[in-house]
Amino acid sequence: MRESGVAFFSSLTLHSLSMAFVVGINFVVALRVVGFAPRLEIAALCRFYVIHWYAAALIFISGSALLLAYPAKALTNPVFYIKLCAIIIGLLISKRIQSTFSNKPDASIDSTCIKLAYLSIVLWIVTLTAGRFLAYTHSVLLASRFY
Amino acid sequence: MIDFLLNFSQGTGIYAFMNSPWGWPIAESIHFLGLCLLIGTVGLFDLRMMGFAKEISLSELHRLIPIGVAGYLLNVITGTMFLSTAPDQYLYNPAVQSKSLFMLIAGINMLFFYATTAADVHSGASSSRVVLRAKIMAGISLVCWCAVIVCGRLITYYRPPYHWCLWC
Repeated sequence: MRESGVAFFSSLTLHSLSMAFVVGINFVVALRVVGFAPRLEIAALCRFYVIHWYAAALIFISGSALLLAYPAKALTNPVFYIKLCAIIIGLLISKRIQSTFSNKPDASIDSTCIKLAYLSIVLWIVTLTAGRFLAYTHSVLLASRFY
Repeated sequence: MIDFLLNFSQGTGIYAFMNSPWGWPIAESIHFLGLCLLIGTVGLFDLRMMGFAKEISLSELHRLIPIGVAGYLLNVITGTMFLSTAPDQYLYNPAVQSKSLFMLIAGINMLFFYATTAADVHSGASSSRVVLRAKIMAGISLVCWCAVIVCGRLITYYRPPYHWCLWC
């Protein structure tokens, strides 16, 4: 991974592309839940979760590849764990919102859903920010430093 | 050109901010947030026009486009901050040139869409010619914005770009 320019770059690109789709879809659904574009049916909007979950799988695959390339760089950086937690909680919220509204056109938006939607927006911003800061905050690049 | 951009950056305080410890990654985070907003709105609208999730009203989905425009403005502002702070690293970078080209194609495609097809799409016209034209434009838009993200990654990664640049 580390030596192959194509493999590393492909993983980086795939990670960015799939992250853009996951965050973009979550943002749109969350904004709809908090009241934006009220005539847009959330149940119908949930159809895009199919793409969301494929993109989430690609985030996992490409992220694992990037982690394999520079394990020490990520695992020794607290920012990596912040990103990981934000993604996991963000995806759990996505699952909750999807199960609440998918195929249920009459489902009402309760205060819990609105709070989760706001939390989702915050968590995805944290994910993006942590992802960018990962490149600037590492103190260890290679595990060989420890030997 | 480089002097002009640097003077602009230094005169507006952008240079000082971008060279502060966290200026660059903060701007990068906002830049990617803008791209996500663009993909989440324009990208989903493109997918809908290409035939995905047909139960969603195109007119209603189009109400989300202002969020994408806001995302694009974030990209323009932060992109200007990158370019004006390190113009020598951007102006001659083939990845930036490719990214600009894809943005230009996406922009022309969007203007062409609003000039020729948007009204038909919003009114629900379903003639095969309108549908095909809308699908082609949506495909071009989606490919262009994905290419913009790929080129964005290329900017910082392949340097020098001997592996892929055909005109370098």
